[in-house]
Amino acid sequence: MIALALPEKALASAVQALPDNSLAANRKAALASFLDRGFPTTRLEDWKYTDLTTVAEISQRWLENGAPAPSAAAIDARIEEIRSAIDADWLVIGNGAIRNPEALSSADGVSVARFSDLAHEPGFEHPLADLNAALLSDGLHVRVAADTAHERPIGIMIVDGADTEAGVAQARIRIELEAGSTAQFVEYHASIGDADHYANSVVELSLARGAAADYVRIQARDRAHAQTHRTAVRLDDSSTIRYSGFDLGGRLVRNDLDVDIAGREATARIGGLYIAADGQHIDNHLRVDHRVGPATSEQEYRGILGGRCRCVWNGKVIVHAGADGTDAQQSNHNLLLSDRAEIDAKPELEIYADEVKCSHGTTVGQLDDSALFYLRSRGLDKQDAMRALTRAFGASIVSHAPVAIVADRLTEMVEQRLSALTDGNEA
Amino acid sequence: MLEIKDLKASTGDTPILKGLSLSVKPGEVHAIMGPNGSGKSTLAQVIAGHADYAVTGGSVSYKGKDLLELEPEERAREGVFLGFQYPVEIPGVNNAYLLKAALNAKRKHQGQSEVDAFEFLKLAKEKMAMLSMDPKFLNRGVNEGFSGGEKKRNEILQMAMLEPDLAILDETDSGLDIDALKAVAQGVNALRSPDRAIVLVTHYQRLLDYVEPDVVHVLYGGRILRSGDKSLALELEDKGYDWVREAASA
Repeated sequence: MIALALPEKALASAVQALPDNSLAANRKAALASFLDRGFPTTRLEDWKYTDLTTVAEISQRWLENGAPAPSAAAIDARIEEIRSAIDADWLVIGNGAIRNPEALSSADGVSVARFSDLAHEPGFEHPLADLNAALLSDGLHVRVAADTAHERPIGIMIVDGADTEAGVAQARIRIELEAGSTAQFVEYHASIGDADHYANSVVELSLARGAAADYVRIQARDRAHAQTHRTAVRLDDSSTIRYSGFDLGGRLVRNDLDVDIAGREATARIGGLYIAADGQHIDNHLRVDHRVGPATSEQEYRGILGGRCRCVWNGKVIVHAGADGTDAQQSNHNLLLSDRAEIDAKPELEIYADEVKCSHGTTVGQLDDSALFYLRSRGLDKQDAMRALTRAFGASIVSHAPVAIVADRLTEMVEQRLSALTDGNEA
Repeated sequence: MLEIKDLKASTGDTPILKGLSLSVKPGEVHAIMGPNGSGKSTLAQVIAGHADYAVTGGSVSYKGKDLLELEPEERAREGVFLGFQYPVEIPGVNNAYLLKAALNAKRKHQGQSEVDAFEFLKLAKEKMAMLSMDPKFLNRGVNEGFSGGEKKRNEILQMAMLEPDLAILDETDSGLDIDALKAVAQGVNALRSPDRAIVLVTHYQRLLDYVEPDVVHVLYGGRILRSGDKSLALELEDKGYDWVREAASA
């Protein structure tokens, strides 16, 4: 099978049923493109380890049921829970619907709008972006005006799920930081409901000259749900992004993070932590394109895997011809707590410039027996010692998360996941 | 306090301890000396419960209990402390976390209330002052980036916090400059009491200038070949281990 297709007629009528706004024509074009390509399959190098058959099945069932607008009564409760846990100015996308674009209307230098307000047409350069653009009722557009320093973190919450029948939800956000502006962002993915669910989201971030963004992505989806998420970052001259991604939930998760370094003296510092327990599949694909130099990129991802699970880490750096003065570092370290856990880690480096400094390294290991014995010899029981060492493994990623306000909540969430993992509650 | 009878232990297929017997009473300080490879560290690790060493014979009783039946953490909570020859670096696990968790695990086990953050800090700072340690060490990763001397002081700090009934210090004196050696000795002497026993495993008698032992043993080839008072250590320093070796083969 070359592509995982969805039934054309049902998909077309799902697109047809969306609210009629300025996105309508774009949806049709995106639909045609998706029908042409389908979901990517494992025959593609980039998708070798991540099989989207489940995602296609959920989508198909959703279409067979007439693509109902998902209704999940508990969604509001979850939204409030996240809102009260992390103090940010939240923009909420609940089951694909933009809830409150007016939330930030009074904030200095920040403007929020729907795509349809701006006649903005989302692009579809990738099959999953096709599907997203085809099924998107509307997108969220955030702009930080030139030379503004927005102090309070801007939160983007994507919460969806279905109660009884299979559900599918799309979300799309475009963030523009104008020249010299700075802002912090928290992106939070959560899901609710007992039914199978597939969430597909796209975030585009563009940083103009001298802009700086601190960004934390937290994925805490239900353990039965699937997610594909694509983030595209474009960096102009002297702009800086510090980005940390945390994957704590989900059954089948695929994140793509593409960073396009289009400006000199730009910096991208990217960190990530994925924690997978029995039955989870978490795939992080990164790609950094150094088009000009000098510029700096750093990737540090860590993974903690327990039970029968699979994680994928693929970090690609491409230093294009002429991008002299590039400094690119990549590292990926994995801790396997079970012999049934699998990690496929692959750093990739393509260099077409002369003056570059690049390094990469990946490791896969288990808990250090001598450290474990040392802690036990001091009176810590085996579980506590394992937990302390496991926590320590992820600690650097947690402590380097760039948005200070999420630190406590993040530490707590990571702690909870690790306790579950080391206590074997979910084996 | 500690009764070891005819202890045999191996690592992999290699027997290391070949029938070792040792009796340590409360209040005593014993020194176990011997050349490299004689089994000193193995003895220390077996008492602490390291899984790499299999006990193939004999018995170890501690306060009347079969020590070999206990998990390493249970031994610690019962009051056994091993000062490691090579303390392990554990980046990301905070020194204060370990000290507090260790102290409270023991207190809980012994039916005492757990110490809170304030009491803990007060106690830790007091012990660190005694060992001339900078309180900043509390917030660093366990032994992370510590110099050799700092690691050994940190072992003594843990011992001072936990106040064990039986402390076994495995080559705690090796690689120390004179100031660190004195600090370590001070920590050990502060712990001396009629209720406690201390076993110093050492290659040289240097530490014994500062911590006076009641009994000195010579360990060689997995057995104790000779025991005596502190003059035995001086004799060893003078004549070297060959003298014991020859005496053994004679």
